Amino acid sequence: METLLFLAHVESDGSLATQAREALGAAREMADALSGAPLHVGVVGRDVAAAAGSIAGCGAARFLGVAGADFSQPRYASDAAAAEALCKAAAATVVIAPATSRWCRVLPGVAQRVGGRVDTHVTGISADGGAPSVTRWYYRQRMEATLTRAHRPWIIVLDPGCGAPWKGEAGAATVEVVPVKLSETCRRTTVTGVQAPPADQQTIRPDAGLLFVAGAGWTKTQPDGKVHAAEAAELILEFLRKAQASLGGSKSLVDLTGEGQAVLPFMTHLNQIGQTGATPRHPKGLSACCHGEEPHVVGWRFISERRAINLDPNCGWARGKADVLYVADAFAVLRRVNALLGEK
Amino acid sequence: MSDSIALERQTMEVDIVCVGFGPAMGGFLTTLSRGLVREDGAPLHESRSAPGLPLQVICYERADDVAFGVSGVVTRARGIRATFPDLDPSEIPLAASVAREKLVYLLDPVGASRRSATLMLADRLIRACRRALPTEDEALVLPHIPSFLRKEGGLLLSLGQFTQWVGAKLMASGAVQIWPGTPVATPLIEEKRVVGVRLIDQGTDRHGNPEAGFMPGMDIRAALTVVGDGPVGPIGRQLDEHFGLPEGYHQREWAVGTKMVVDLREDVELEPGTVLHTFGYPEPEIFGFMYVYPDQVASVGIFVPSWFESPIRASYRYLQHWMLHPYLWRYLQGGRLRSWGAKTLQESGRRGEPHLAGDGYARIGEGSGSTNVLTGSGVDEAWTTGTLLAEGVLGLLREGQPFTKEHLERAYVERRRGSWLEAESRVAGRARDGFQRGVLTGLLGMAVAGLTRGKLAVPGDPTPPHARVPSAEAYYRGKISGEEIARIRDECASRGLSLHDALMERCGWPAIPYDGKLLVSHQDALLLGGKVQAPPGYADHVVFLYPHLCETCGTRICIETCSGQAITPGESGLPAFDREKCVHCGACLWSCSQPRPGDLERTNIEFRAGTGGLHSAEN
Amino acid sequence: MTTGYQIVVCGGIVPDPLQTLDPVANPAGPTIKNEMMLPAVLDPWAAHALYEAAHLAKATPGSKVWLVSLGPKAKLQQVMMTVAQKVPFELVALDGQAGGFTDTYEVAALLAGAIQAIPGLDRSRLLVFGGWESASRGAGATLQMVGERLHVLDQFQGVDRLAIAADGSFQILERIEGGRHQVSTCAGPPAVLGWATGSLPEPPNNSQVGMANMRTVMPALHRAKPAKVGAEGVTFARVSLPSQRRDTRIVKDLPVGEIAREIVAWITGA
Repeated sequence: METLLFLAHVESDGSLATQAREALGAAREMADALSGAPLHVGVVGRDVAAAAGSIAGCGAARFLGVAGADFSQPRYASDAAAAEALCKAAAATVVIAPATSRWCRVLPGVAQRVGGRVDTHVTGISADGGAPSVTRWYYRQRMEATLTRAHRPWIIVLDPGCGAPWKGEAGAATVEVVPVKLSETCRRTTVTGVQAPPADQQTIRPDAGLLFVAGAGWTKTQPDGKVHAAEAAELILEFLRKAQASLGGSKSLVDLTGEGQAVLPFMTHLNQIGQTGATPRHPKGLSACCHGEEPHVVGWRFISERRAINLDPNCGWARGKADVLYVADAFAVLRRVNALLGEK
Repeated sequence: MSDSIALERQTMEVDIVCVGFGPAMGGFLTTLSRGLVREDGAPLHESRSAPGLPLQVICYERADDVAFGVSGVVTRARGIRATFPDLDPSEIPLAASVAREKLVYLLDPVGASRRSATLMLADRLIRACRRALPTEDEALVLPHIPSFLRKEGGLLLSLGQFTQWVGAKLMASGAVQIWPGTPVATPLIEEKRVVGVRLIDQGTDRHGNPEAGFMPGMDIRAALTVVGDGPVGPIGRQLDEHFGLPEGYHQREWAVGTKMVVDLREDVELEPGTVLHTFGYPEPEIFGFMYVYPDQVASVGIFVPSWFESPIRASYRYLQHWMLHPYLWRYLQGGRLRSWGAKTLQESGRRGEPHLAGDGYARIGEGSGSTNVLTGSGVDEAWTTGTLLAEGVLGLLREGQPFTKEHLERAYVERRRGSWLEAESRVAGRARDGFQRGVLTGLLGMAVAGLTRGKLAVPGDPTPPHARVPSAEAYYRGKISGEEIARIRDECASRGLSLHDALMERCGWPAIPYDGKLLVSHQDALLLGGKVQAPPGYADHVVFLYPHLCETCGTRICIETCSGQAITPGESGLPAFDREKCVHCGACLWSCSQPRPGDLERTNIEFRAGTGGLHSAEN
Repeated sequence: MTTGYQIVVCGGIVPDPLQTLDPVANPAGPTIKNEMMLPAVLDPWAAHALYEAAHLAKATPGSKVWLVSLGPKAKLQQVMMTVAQKVPFELVALDGQAGGFTDTYEVAALLAGAIQAIPGLDRSRLLVFGGWESASRGAGATLQMVGERLHVLDQFQGVDRLAIAADGSFQILERIEGGRHQVSTCAGPPAVLGWATGSLPEPPNNSQVGMANMRTVMPALHRAKPAKVGAEGVTFARVSLPSQRRDTRIVKDLPVGEIAREIVAWITGA
């Protein structure tokens, strides 16, 4: 019989993020599919009571918590100690956790500590045939594998957007506090804050409805034989502002940034999507002047509706990968789109 | 930034510096490295550049990996087998023994090919007698292959996999070093002596001006410089410019080879080791090949020669029409492109041979005129030039003799003159001259030369390629009016496109039915099959020397022939070059229709040392 | 910190990310079709880590860089021909499978063992670098396990910057959600840093660096011990390429104004 642990950390406001609720949904389903395997909840944070209460109706056998000022910051040493203590307290055989940056930093190390194994970039969990199995990515989202493991404990780190968030009754949950005493060596690191670009220069908007993917074509010679990088930059920024879109860049365009070529000044490695970049999730995606094939196009695998603007009708980025391809000059199209968005 | 720009050019001393890692250098380094150590592994020769250490031998290769050569190879492999007597093809991925050979004449199934009246008559005859002749799927399988073309007992290789295999063995020996990703910019010549090479400057803009992270290319000084950088290699070509070619020699015959490696359909029953050679289609001047490797993989390609007098030597497009020929398409349909590449072939053979050795340097490989133009064989010959040089060099090392012209002439050139390589290249010497007067005359000339062992040949006078490029108006006279060509030219220029697709389709070539797997756009082939890369911080290696010549050039064949669509219409008539798309095939270098002022053997395009190119190890 | 850092970079080799990759099922588990024929490169993130390590070592006299790499010997050798020209390092080679389907737990055990076996290693100067993910397994899990095995409790992932203060402490920027960075300070080594892209360009090829490195690279490759690595206890039910082929509607010859209107209507859901 498996013993399941749903592992979460609280947000700075003491709540549980949507992503955590997605992992809880998956854990709940797994527990049900394993005909009543006990599900425990483990929460880490400065104060975990509110978060535990918000999922009080999830049917957990126990609510465990590691709390206190030491555990408010996303720091490896303290988070690892807390997660280790929770895994052990729950005697968990299968641990399900959301792939937040905080958990990604620490859970593989926790697996090592508890003598277990870990799977990350998991997109699906099932219990067909009475044993847990996971589907996860390999080769940077280019290959998908379904596997089972003999080793326990097994820590499963679930990618965001892969399941419905758990919805259920809030209430009062009795949290058993698991004591964790940090040694001084665990306090050598202090998280001092978060650095983000100023709001007006923000180009990455994870919650945006639209991802705009700019390709290297923007900085190439245009039909008049000239490069129009400055105009491209203006058009794209104006579009992002008006459409409140998030910006992604193809590898070749992002790489140009480092080469002193005509570039878009606001494009950084953080914008890069694709094989060696991010694979963001947005309901819609519009690519313009992109060229490439599988390794690059993987960047908009998780975009539900996709359209592309490209002068080349046979472009590998668009054909077979987008729902609609507009064979047109992206400069001209974006200029008109911006004007139309301005009227709205 | 400023302190890095002030960097001094550094110098490093080695004993032997080698340029270009291809089959010739593979042969040279393999033979050399075996002679540098005793059986117990102790070095036989002490370095003069670094006393106390073994002989310092270093080889620089432009491409990012030693495996990035382009050639589907069928070879008798005499030289390679002499070096590796126990060679087992199964050790080398994609290698197979030659099992069967076919020579096939392809008829024109679409009616767009430019065929002479004689050829059209021959085609009609073949079609009329198709029940009596071995024809199938618009092709005539020749009942007999002349012995000089056969490769019985030979090997099929992927050049990339072969050089990778050789490179790994060499590196494991520890006797020599091979550094890929390091182009050599120029030879270092002091008076009449080559004293080493200069590596390419790094951290520059596209014009070669220092930028952030500038690092001047290092000078590598060596007692011996071995040049094996191929037909368009900058070091070999600069030596040719500096020292000239021997009297009466010239390099006027070239071809561009374009190929693909294809995963065949599961149900294609072609025995590994099958070799198909074709001629007659898509244009009579274009030859094709299909080599079948183990595991349902094949290498297919065409050669477009410099004597194909067309202003649009669009090899990629022609390759697609060739693949779509019914005789081949029955095998290729449903296949999938694995990799793609293109390369220039120096087809002057013996007549293009440069000075093979001089003070401090020796030339090996294709750039040394080793390709046999009668048998269509170059890899094994290149390999053999390397082994011959290595034997000579080892002799000089044993004798303690310096690498002077005199000693190298004795140790290497005389050895080469006495080898099978020389005997066969003399047979082949004039074998292709007939092609200067037409395809049929050329084929006849090859047969005559082959069958008489070179005693007889059909005469022909090779002219420089630039003298053989007609204007589009002249080429399409009677098919497309001058006004229409002008309109197409304007339209294509305004969209930054080359002309050949529009012109070919206007002449009846059907549009390519892209399937996203094997028939893909040229751009997709660059990404899907070639993985072309160009690391930042280097100067452009394709340079249009006299812009005014480009501005007034009528053909701009460089744009049409470019294998990577790296050369496109640019501002005020000067073509634009995009380093990120260049596959380093070098077709622009010899295809250019503008002779260089003051040097009629050369063109207005200079092909310098450059980084990047294809990233495929199986070509 | 006058004696400098001992920086150990864990860096595997991967098929060039631009290549077309197909999985194939073998009795021993999945692998990549033609894996030995594909051009290999040092994993892109590990390469960033290596350049950052070399940069830090250069700026901190007395420092030294090791590159610990697990891969088939022949492929390692091939990749080192390129990598060894970039920056000075000493190679520690492990001759074993480099594919993505091996398990992090086993890989980490091998890497940690190799690091512990480096003669003269001093924990008080130790920095373990690597890529935060790889282009093969892409799990982002190996370094943490290596760190645990070495009992290093200060670990950072998705690092884009490491700045050393006068007192020897670090400031570290790690990538977190929403295109932001988390800023931390750490008292000093030992620490584990999984690098994202950092900020350094690829160093130029340097023949002298290459010659110097080769003196240790070739012996290290000769010494490389066969390392058994797999995914014990893992049963792969299926490995596939996600096929997401869409029927693309190609809109040609539509006036720009019409295209713009269609796009705006689609974006705004009008």
